[in-house]
Amino acid sequence: MARTAPTPGQKISFIMLTLISTLILYLDLTSNNFQNIKNGFKAFKISSFYILKEISIEPIKSIISFTKSKDDLLEENKNLKAALELSYLNNYLVSKENIFYKDKEIIKNAHDKGDYKFAYDVAYLKSIDPNMFICCDKHRMFIEIKGNNDASYNESIVFNSEGILGQIINESKFYEVLLLTDISHSLPIKLKSNKFYCNAKGSGRAEYITCNYNPLIWTEVINESQAVYTSGLGGVYPKDIEIGYVNSIINTNSKETRIEIKLLANPLNGSQFGVLNY
Amino acid sequence: MTSLFKRFFLIIFINFIDQNLAILFSKLFIIIPLTFLAYSFYVYKSDKNISALEAFSFGFFVDLISDTFFGLNATIYCLVTYFINQNANSFKLFSYLQICLFFGLSASAYVGFTQLITNLYDFSYITLLVSSIVNIIFCFFIALISSYFPQQLNIKL
Repeated sequence: MARTAPTPGQKISFIMLTLISTLILYLDLTSNNFQNIKNGFKAFKISSFYILKEISIEPIKSIISFTKSKDDLLEENKNLKAALELSYLNNYLVSKENIFYKDKEIIKNAHDKGDYKFAYDVAYLKSIDPNMFICCDKHRMFIEIKGNNDASYNESIVFNSEGILGQIINESKFYEVLLLTDISHSLPIKLKSNKFYCNAKGSGRAEYITCNYNPLIWTEVINESQAVYTSGLGGVYPKDIEIGYVNSIINTNSKETRIEIKLLANPLNGSQFGVLNY
Repeated sequence: MTSLFKRFFLIIFINFIDQNLAILFSKLFIIIPLTFLAYSFYVYKSDKNISALEAFSFGFFVDLISDTFFGLNATIYCLVTYFINQNANSFKLFSYLQICLFFGLSASAYVGFTQLITNLYDFSYITLLVSSIVNIIFCFFIALISSYFPQQLNIKL
């Protein structure tokens, strides 16, 4: 459709508004009369920008940063937990430093040099059947050792921050640990007085081992809550390590008494372990 | 009314792109006045004459949002609107090349005029020359796109 040419009236309005524009331009160039309007608009623009940003972008950003920080926190928490468990293992060894190793010179040298690189490798839990551990006789655990792959860990002692858990009996991709509570396990124990020795067997119950002895031979008076230590006679475990306390004493007959020992260490507490290497 | 708001929002959007591109191209002595070209194109494409008040309003609004001197764009927009209104029917006889030259050169005039007002002491002929060439090429480019993809762009030159 054809457009009509501007009428005289339109021409006049164009000329008028062009002149007004020029006048405004001249005024703006020569004075600061419009500065307030410009500043007001700038303030409005900035405020609008921030409000729009606050409404639209910030919620999305906060959601993203929230999820990201949550992931970071979880990762950080995991790392801290691992570091804490490791420090617990170290603390456990430090507290037993004079007696834990068969070769006491290792500790002595470390102490003299101020170099506490204890000879144990860190292991992580791969699997344990808690139902089997609570209900049944076979108490086994599988761990993965983060250490020297060439080293042999057969019969090495596995411990956590609470105490001794058992020994490695099978080496494959993962290491099978025979726990103290397994009924096939036998642990030579003694009392602090060194006047009572016994072979404590796994009870098949979580956290308990039992020891049968002849009271006519071992006349030492045993009380409940009395601490029990390893005797070191089996050749696997070092001596004088506290493993638990007497929980109950049952006189089966005149020739046999059974003591039930509650262990200090529970394999279900934590997923990080130490494996001693001699 | 809705249409007017739509146009104002479009002007704001194009001006936003314009200002961002200006930062990019200024190092190459190029000024492409996208807002001015878009407005010219709107006047050119319109079926009816654009009133002087509308031209003045748009110009004044562009002055406000682009933070230039008040009246600068208002004056130019009034002049270009009048000129396009005056020759709206004549344009139909022109070829694409002539129309592109017209818009390219009017963009160059806009650049020259705004530079005279806003940047008098550092007025650069290189900027003016390079911008003229680039603006003409830019108009050709738009015309080519609209010729090859008329449906997609919905632009009729």
